[in-house]
Amino acid sequence: MFFRCTGPPIPREVKQAEILEHDLWGTGGPQYAPQEYQSYKFALRKAKDDLIRESSKFFLFRDYGYVQAELRALLKEGERLRIAIQNRKDSRASGVERQIAAAQARIEKLGRLASTVNEGYLARRTLTKAGVALIEADLLHKKGEFDSAQERFNRLNGYLGDAQETLAPIFTRYTDQTQIAKWRRWVEETVSESRNRGSVAIVVSKIDRRLILYQTGSLFKSYPIAIGRNGSSSKLHAGDRATPEGKYWIVRKLSMSKYYKALLINYPNEDDKDMFVSAKKRGKIPRSVGIGGRVEIHGGGKDGMTYGCIALDNDHMDEIFAMVDVGTNVTIVGSTDDDNDISSALEGL
Amino acid sequence: MGYFVLAIAVVFMFAGCGSPPAQELDAAKASIQGAAAAGAEKYAPEDLKKLNDRLSAANDEIKAQEGKWFKSYDKAKEMLVKLKADADALKPTIAAKKEQAKNNATAAQNAAKGAVDKAKNLLAKAPAGKESRAEIEAMKADVKGLEEGLAEVGKLVAAEDYRPAADKAKAISEKAAAVSDQVKKAMEKVAAAKKAKK
Repeated sequence: MFFRCTGPPIPREVKQAEILEHDLWGTGGPQYAPQEYQSYKFALRKAKDDLIRESSKFFLFRDYGYVQAELRALLKEGERLRIAIQNRKDSRASGVERQIAAAQARIEKLGRLASTVNEGYLARRTLTKAGVALIEADLLHKKGEFDSAQERFNRLNGYLGDAQETLAPIFTRYTDQTQIAKWRRWVEETVSESRNRGSVAIVVSKIDRRLILYQTGSLFKSYPIAIGRNGSSSKLHAGDRATPEGKYWIVRKLSMSKYYKALLINYPNEDDKDMFVSAKKRGKIPRSVGIGGRVEIHGGGKDGMTYGCIALDNDHMDEIFAMVDVGTNVTIVGSTDDDNDISSALEGL
Repeated sequence: MGYFVLAIAVVFMFAGCGSPPAQELDAAKASIQGAAAAGAEKYAPEDLKKLNDRLSAANDEIKAQEGKWFKSYDKAKEMLVKLKADADALKPTIAAKKEQAKNNATAAQNAAKGAVDKAKNLLAKAPAGKESRAEIEAMKADVKGLEEGLAEVGKLVAAEDYRPAADKAKAISEKAAAVSDQVKKAMEKVAAAKKAKK
């Protein structure tokens, strides 16, 4: 009565299905195919419960046939799931690689934009933080931690948004058709007057960093220049380190100055004074700050930045100094080109 | 009399089957929960999964016995006792892994600080000539951004987020090294310009 009874062997597929479940977990089932992974686990649980139920029968009545069939179907499904997980991981990896490349390009574009407008503080600081987030995302991508990499991208995009917001007040003027048309009109009027009077005129394009000398309405020569630290903005007050925009003339020629030779222009003109008063009323300028003055075209070298003046190499300054007089028109504009460096840099941002 | 003996034998047979190992089951569960609370999910996720799978297997063994006429929980008991011992043995290894992760993060943090300080010192020495003023100012902003990043690393270490802290610190080190290279190039540019003027 007490002899040992054995029934049919436990299907080996149950162990295989358990090993496969562990593999699916290890290769990212919960992350990349959560529903399918849970379905597999549920089906495995059911198969095991069926196995337990069958095992509890008297050995002569045990039949693992249907359990074995269940488990074989489960193993097939598990293998399909394994492939699906790998495909999704590969797809995520490609997606992250694309994001890395796009973010790199965006950081570089904004960096160039910041350099173009000489914004070397807030935007630059934020772009550095974006650069750090990008390196982190790349490290995580290489470790296959795509969710964490995505979190870094979200942060990075926030930084890039902040940088763009910082730069926007400076560069939106260079994409504003009305503003560009106004600048273009100033230049045309200046060149036309030079032609009509048979005189010399100076036109400065800040975005191109060029000073163009006109003689009798024809382009005589173009010179590279440096402008203010915040030269891409239009000068509003003393100490803002911006280079003014408008129609001016030379009021004084200085053969000896702090920066070699210098040509003093009549900043602030009436438009400048109106803008200053308006900005003061709106509280945009501190009470104690004046409108500024002493804006010159001078020598001392074109490399670097000024406090708002226009600087050239000394030999170029010599040429210009010799050709101009007190009263020579000087027109300073942001750009006359719709397709300028800033508008081009903004494309795709 | 014979029937009486037979009845006693049957009673003893069923009585000798034992009861489900509830104590051992609770002890094993508590040990696994203890390992999870100690950080197994973060520092030893595969070990934790295996422990949970073994707990499930022990439960299956108990269920299998419950459905039988002649129950024996010896195997389930043995499984649970071993499971508890293994879960208890896992805890100190988690502590060691956590300590290692902390050391890695701290080392990376120090390296990042060193790299940022190096860039700062180079910038302090860089001649702020007209030719380089814009670049130097921009690089000072870079360093400021990196210092803000270092502060974030500090917060992550304090919150025991050691892996993100180490990743961020490595990224900062890389960026700081790039800034140092840029400073050196800017200094070389200024030196070359000075030489040309002479």
